[in-house]
Order: sequence, then C-alpha cells, then structure tokens
Amino acid sequence: MSFLERVDQGIRRSVVFRSLFRQPYPNDERSRAYAVMNNVFLHIHPVRVRQHAVKFAYTFCLGGLSFFLFLVLTVTGVYLMFFYVPSATQAYTDILQIQSSVAFGLLTRNIHRWAAHLMVFFVFLHMMRVFYHGAYKPPREFNWVVGVVLLFLTIMLSFTGYLLPWDQIAYWAITIGTNMAGYAPLFNTPSKFILLGGLEVGQNTLLRFYVLHIVVFPLVAAIFMAVHFWRIRKDGGISGPL
Amino acid sequence: MAETQSPPERRVTPVDPSRRTEIDKQRVPMSARPYRLLALVKQDAVVRVQKEPDDTVMTWPHLLAIEFLSAAVLSVFLLLMGLFVNAPLEDLANGNVTPEVAKAPWYFLGLQEMLAYFHPVVAGVMVPTFLLVGAALIPYVDRGDVLAHKPSERKTAVVLFSLFAILGLLVTFIGIFFRGAGYAITLPWVTGLHFSL
Ligand code: HEM
Repeated sequence: MSFLERVDQGIRRSVVFRSLFRQPYPNDERSRAYAVMNNVFLHIHPVRVRQHAVKFAYTFCLGGLSFFLFLVLTVTGVYLMFFYVPSATQAYTDILQIQSSVAFGLLTRNIHRWAAHLMVFFVFLHMMRVFYHGAYKPPREFNWVVGVVLLFLTIMLSFTGYLLPWDQIAYWAITIGTNMAGYAPLFNTPSKFILLGGLEVGQNTLLRFYVLHIVVFPLVAAIFMAVHFWRIRKDGGISGPL
Repeated sequence: MAETQSPPERRVTPVDPSRRTEIDKQRVPMSARPYRLLALVKQDAVVRVQKEPDDTVMTWPHLLAIEFLSAAVLSVFLLLMGLFVNAPLEDLANGNVTPEVAKAPWYFLGLQEMLAYFHPVVAGVMVPTFLLVGAALIPYVDRGDVLAHKPSERKTAVVLFSLFAILGLLVTFIGIFFRGAGYAITLPWVTGLHFSL
C-alpha cells in the first residue's frame, strides 16, 4: 500500500470521518441511494431520476446553472459588502478602493458583475427551454407562474445592483429605467417618487436600491426558488420526454 | 462463569411507563434510527397487470456528475471573465453632466426602444405589465392538448411565443447597437458602439 493509500485509509477509518459520512464511499445502488437521501444538500433530488431528464440536451442545465449563479452572486456579493458603504459621497471611492487595494477585490467585483448579467440571460433561456418543451402544461402550470415571479425578481436584483457603483453609467441607466416605470401610479403617488425617494436619483435612491439589492430581493428570490424546486418534485419531476 | 459480552446496542430508551399516554401505547416501536432503507423496490402492483419499462437511472452518479461538470465549466468561464475582462466603471455620478446617450441595462433596452415609438405610459407601464402578466397566464390561456409537448403538435403556441421572442430580441438589438448620441439611430460601424454592460 502506498503512502497516499494509507493516509486515505486512515482518514476514512477515523472516528471523525465516519461520524461525518455515515456510509462508506457509495459504490452500489443501495449506498448511492443513501448518499442522496442522507445528505441535506443532495436530498433535494430524488434517489432515481428518469433517464431523459439526465441528458444535458434536455434542460441544458439552465435552471440549475441559474441557481448556481445565484449562489456565486451571494458569495461574491457578501465579500463586496464588507468594503462598500451605500452613501452618495463614499460609494464610488469604495468601488475604486475595492478595485485597487482590497485583496481579490477587482476579481470579485468582475465576477459579481458578469455572473449577474449571465444569470438574467440564463433565466431567459431557461424560460424559453421550458416553453418549447411545453413544460408549463398541467400539472406544472403554477410552477411556471412561480418562474415568472423569479424572472421578475432576477431582473430587479440586477437592476438594483446596477446603481450601486454610483458612476455615470449607473446614475443615468437608473434615471432612464425609473423614468419609464415612473408613470405607473402607486398609492396615488407617482411610482417614480416611491422608487427614487425623491424627484431624482440621489442618496435616498442609493439607500433604497441597496437595501432591496442585498436583503429584500435575495430573500424573496430564495423563498420562491425553494417553492420552485419543491414543486418540481411534487409535479412529478422533470417533464418529458418529448 | 464468564459473562458473554454482547456488543453495545443503540437503543431508544422507552418512555417512562408511568407517563405513557394512550398514543405512546399505540406507537410502533422504532429502532435507534428513525428510518431505514431496506431495499430499493420498483413500484409494482401485487398483481402485475402491465409492466412499464423502467426508464430511471440513479441520481448518484448520473445526474450529479452532469450538475457538477456544468457548474465546474461555468466556474472556469466566470474565473476567466473575471481575470481578463474588467467590469465597467466610469466617472463619479453627476446629475449635471448628461452623457452622450443614457441607456438602460440591456434587459430594459427593448422597453427603452419602445419609448421611442410610443407614449411613456404605453412603453413603460402597459407593455411590461402585459408581458409579465401575459407570461404568467400562458398555462391558463393555452387550452390545447395537455399531452401535446412536441413543438410540432402545438404550432400556434410556438409561433406566437416565438414571434414575441423575436420582436423582443429585435428591439433590444436595435437599442444596443443602432442607437447613438441622443438616442438617435446610428450605424455602430460608423459612430462606434454606445453601450456598456
Ligand atoms: C431564478 C430563476 C430560476 C431558477 C433558479 C430556476 C430553476 C429551475 C430548475 C433547477 C429546474 C429544473 C430543470 C431545469 O434545470 O431546467 C427548473 C424547472 C422549471 N422551471 Fe425554473 N428556474 C428559474 C426561473 C424560471 C422561469 C423564469 C420560468 C418560467 C417562466 C420557470 C419555469 C420552470 C418550469 C415550468 C420548470 C419545470 C420544467 C420541466 O419539468 O421540464 N423557471 N427551474
């Protein structure tokens, strides 16, 4: 037995390892079933899935990758939060600081930005894939509605985050965006006023968008995702085959 | 006389008999583990009427491998993007300095393009509301055969949806590439690209 094998065996036989993973590495059907059932992260899946649903070209993993991007955005976003203050006088310099002097700050900001655009794009594509498979038909009608809410939340997450760097792109994009929505009357006030917290994009807007971006929308999206995934199982797993 | 040492057994201590309720008496005794998987049983009726072919595979490894692989590929892609393409950042926000052209984020550019043709109430309120509510209502409006999943079996739905998708793509495309200073129509190869992600 080589040294590495002995170390491997030693780890697997240790009390700590066996308390962590109650089964040995799953090599047969029974232990593989256990592995999925007994793991809090994996048990979102059934133990067995229908064959066509496993083919990459059926789902293109688009829903799963949207969720993965959401996780990436959560992790990178929390890191950025440590160095960012949502203040009209400080936000922009904080971004410059993140890019120049925070460890992996530039990389984290870049990944957060690209993952955000990609998530909106993937959610759109996921919706197309679901539509062209007719996967919104009974019994999955309501999960489609949950999906539309998720699409809305994903776009709003991206839009509220867009303002935070507080540069010219952000300022004018949000000005245009809220101008468009501003004509919808809400509670007898122009919705623009509610969105902006004033007549134009300013400190109130930044704080509102920040709170929506880091707490409200992620939380609501997480809840809707939980419902979305739960219902996939309850509706009998992935639709198809075509 | 040697006492035989049986291996220690994991047991659930029974409820104190003096405190047993009616429900406790009816309870099926459980082993230390609240549930056990004895075997994987295919769902067969006692009387086999017609055996459906089993078209399922184990989640581990078949589904998990694909999920892991696609997540890994996407991670590498994100890492490369993060390393080699910087997120845009312009000058400090200034409400007094109007840029050459102000564009909304790309997913709203279709709506901004509509703004060039219609009254703001139409482009900014009615169109997005119609799109979202309309999308949510699709499963209830499509009263076609529930079992018809192939696009060829539900041509009307597919054509209508595709029409909206292409229209959306088109206006977004114009907004991204063919709108320049002052949101006037331009050609990107003449005046350059006015767009940032
Ligand atoms: C944050 C956004 C979303 C996430 C994370 C998400 C996630 C998922 C996942 C993981 C699946 C499993 C199958 C697959 O990957 O394709 C799924 C299926 C499904 N999704 Fe989504 N989804 C999102 C948005 C949407 C949207 C916008 C719609 C439609 C408007 C939608 C409708 C559905 C339906 C109907 C299914 C069942 C499909 C089938 O059985 O074939 N989802 N979703």
